[in-house]
Amino acid sequence: MNKINNVSKEELELVSEVTEQTSRRQFFKKTAAYSVSALAAASVVTPVSASANEHIKVNPEDDINIIEEKPWSLKFGDDVTVNLYGQPSPYEHNVVRRTTPILSSGNMRASIAVTPIQDLNGIITPNGLFFNRHHGGTPTINPNEHRLMIHGLVEKPIVLTMDQLKRYPNVSRIHFLECPANGGPEWRGPQFNSIQFAKGFMSSAEWTGVYIKDILKDLGLKPEALWMLAEGIDNSHMGRTIPIDKVLDDAMIVWGQNGEALRPEQGYPIRIVVPGWEANLCVKWLARLEFASEPFYAKEETSKYTALKQTGKAIQHFYANEVNSVVTSPCPEKPWTDLKKGDMVEIEGLAWSGMGTITHVDISLDGGKNWIEAPLKGLILEKSWTRFSLMHEYTGEPMLISSRAADDAGHVQPSVKQERKAVGIEGVYHRNGIHTWEIDAKGEVTNVQILS
Amino acid sequence: MYKSYHKKVVAITLFASVVFLGTACNASNDNNKNAKADTKKERPSEFGGVPVVWPGQTIEEIKPFVGPAKASVSKTVKKKYDFNGKLIVDGGVYYPIVDGKTGAYAVNESAHSTPFNKGKTATANEQKAWDIDVMPDGTGLPEGSGSVEFGDEVYEEKCVICHGDFGAGAGLYPRLTVGNAAEMHKTLKNQRVEPDSDGPQRAFGSYWPYASTLWWYIKTGMPHQAPMSLTTEEVYALSAYILHVNEMEIDGVEVDEDYVLDREKFLKIVMPNVDGFEPQINGPKGQENAREYFNNPVNYGNGVRCMKDCFDGEPKVQRIKFALTDFNPPINETKTLPEVKEAKAEHPGKGNYEASCAVCHATDAMGAPAVGDKSAWEATLKKGLDAVISNTFSGVNGMPPRGGSSLSDDQLKEVVDYMISESK
Repeated sequence: MNKINNVSKEELELVSEVTEQTSRRQFFKKTAAYSVSALAAASVVTPVSASANEHIKVNPEDDINIIEEKPWSLKFGDDVTVNLYGQPSPYEHNVVRRTTPILSSGNMRASIAVTPIQDLNGIITPNGLFFNRHHGGTPTINPNEHRLMIHGLVEKPIVLTMDQLKRYPNVSRIHFLECPANGGPEWRGPQFNSIQFAKGFMSSAEWTGVYIKDILKDLGLKPEALWMLAEGIDNSHMGRTIPIDKVLDDAMIVWGQNGEALRPEQGYPIRIVVPGWEANLCVKWLARLEFASEPFYAKEETSKYTALKQTGKAIQHFYANEVNSVVTSPCPEKPWTDLKKGDMVEIEGLAWSGMGTITHVDISLDGGKNWIEAPLKGLILEKSWTRFSLMHEYTGEPMLISSRAADDAGHVQPSVKQERKAVGIEGVYHRNGIHTWEIDAKGEVTNVQILS
Repeated sequence: MYKSYHKKVVAITLFASVVFLGTACNASNDNNKNAKADTKKERPSEFGGVPVVWPGQTIEEIKPFVGPAKASVSKTVKKKYDFNGKLIVDGGVYYPIVDGKTGAYAVNESAHSTPFNKGKTATANEQKAWDIDVMPDGTGLPEGSGSVEFGDEVYEEKCVICHGDFGAGAGLYPRLTVGNAAEMHKTLKNQRVEPDSDGPQRAFGSYWPYASTLWWYIKTGMPHQAPMSLTTEEVYALSAYILHVNEMEIDGVEVDEDYVLDREKFLKIVMPNVDGFEPQINGPKGQENAREYFNNPVNYGNGVRCMKDCFDGEPKVQRIKFALTDFNPPINETKTLPEVKEAKAEHPGKGNYEASCAVCHATDAMGAPAVGDKSAWEATLKKGLDAVISNTFSGVNGMPPRGGSSLSDDQLKEVVDYMISESK
């Protein structure tokens, strides 16, 4: 709680001096000259006003932020009419999705903006920070003119307006959505010294919508229907094939995201959510479901989103994102540079599995040689982000921190070595090898991989 | 597969998919011994007029993986692998509704058994208008034809700007060929274990399993800025051209410069990598194959819960060799007020820039000077503004005359001015 570090020596002297003179009024005049720039810079002491603290003689160890009144506590704040749709504090303006050219297919209309998971808590991503991958830009769809067609191998092909769709009974479920290329640029070794880019191709929300099976029971699905094409009506008209088992289990058509309508970047007015599976299967701007007896072989399930193994064969229809985890604190963006030897610190992270529920997360502080089971915290839900946490006494010595999750499907996150042995290093997709951060003696954090 | 709904649910062997955990050192993976089956009776319901055994009848309860003393994991982990008596297709767990709940979620079960019958019947015309997919067996592929020669023309006009000469790719835009398809197919086992080793060469010819995907994608996704704008003849012609630059043959005949592709010939295309994918998903057993494949994690990798002395010696650490740091905006974890930018009136060239020029100039991926890249534009402007504008009219390097647009001279000048003003 050493906030006084934020205040410059000169400012302290100035404040001390004028206080000693007990000429507060004079001080206000002096400070008024720079009050505008002072307000704009968070770390600069702001002008004070006459208050009950006038009699306090400020000492260097006092936190000036406590001694002096703040302008926001001395005047009106904004009316309730300001920001009728609320915005984050302007001080949070650096907490944003980010892009990098290497992750685009040529331009920013077929690209990805990734989530600052270093700045997030809990298991819900704010809608404005939800990662956004699209193949032809984000369309602005008029919901009144948008339709959902369900046809193919059904007795009764139908078209639904959005109002009609929302008359089906809704369910709300918390699920992560993960791009199967999350971590994909790092098959051959670490490249991003950033958790946002190394692991931020994912987000999580409470989704509200209707189970597709609830609509199908009205339509008479034909016995030979084995596959469903889900197709969007944006520029890319992206389609993906989903096996009927998943359609009849928990696949949903959703219109709600964390209580409000889907954001345009997330498929407004509707998208599919295929819990636990590749987010690419969760087709946005959904307009058409077609049932067929054979798979469709859309572009994004052949040329892309297939994982080439060292055998020369590629895994297609690679559905579930396998069990995975990452330590979110510390990370390159949130280092331990402020810690002193002997400080207690929480190691915290996210674990998830598209196949089921997280049962265990183990943490290693020595590069994966020895492991300690970390307590889970918060909600433990299926196909959902799950938080884990471990208390650690900081030694100031260089160290390696890794996490390894396991799920109730019986899967355990592989080491980098185990994963490379199984599938090679050219697969692009579905990389879930154990993630490791290296902490140096200063507390700086770097992305590394352990090959032992 | 609906026939299987009639079949009696067969109890399955629970740990078929977790045997690989077996000998995890020091971890308490003795849950096999504690497995206890509890079979619930199914509740039949109606599904499209077919009596259905609704999923989730067999519930297997086991003791959890018991970790060290402080584990805050729920004490009972319910493992449900079955869906209509079968393993889950993705290799995962199924969560049925038990006592009005599925997992942590309460369920209004009556809401899911009530018929609603919303919407209207989709007319034949409506379905025709939207049914744009093309399947490997030719479903959705219209009659028509197109020549390699015409394809070359269309390609030069509408495609080369992104995909480069002869489909060789440009910047970060996808390559349409990496050379002879059959030869390049042989590279798919390559692994770039050394920095200078050649990787697998993935492009349409060497990697895609079916040509139907190409036709479908060109028709509905290309050109990127104007999807659904190509005629059937143009799509056949472009398909023919792409087969040509991939040096492919159809039915023993080389797709040469004089080749004319039609529907009948198209359906005879056999891609070199047609058998290059697993699991095999075609045919009535397709989904079963996927089920079997994904329930065997040997196929895609898995770890073990080793807790102590998991390897000999010191950990082998691989550090960043080539850091990628071109982040937009740059990483910044400070809590400060944003810089206040003065509001500017919209530049008259902005709209036309976005509509006609941004596809190449938004990033440097195409080799074009990217808008916002100060140094790139300083270099471009060394030859003088007049030369830049004259190049804009006549084309330069990979850029066609007027950037392929139909903008007037004045409009182009406005666009250039806008691009320069945004790059200072």
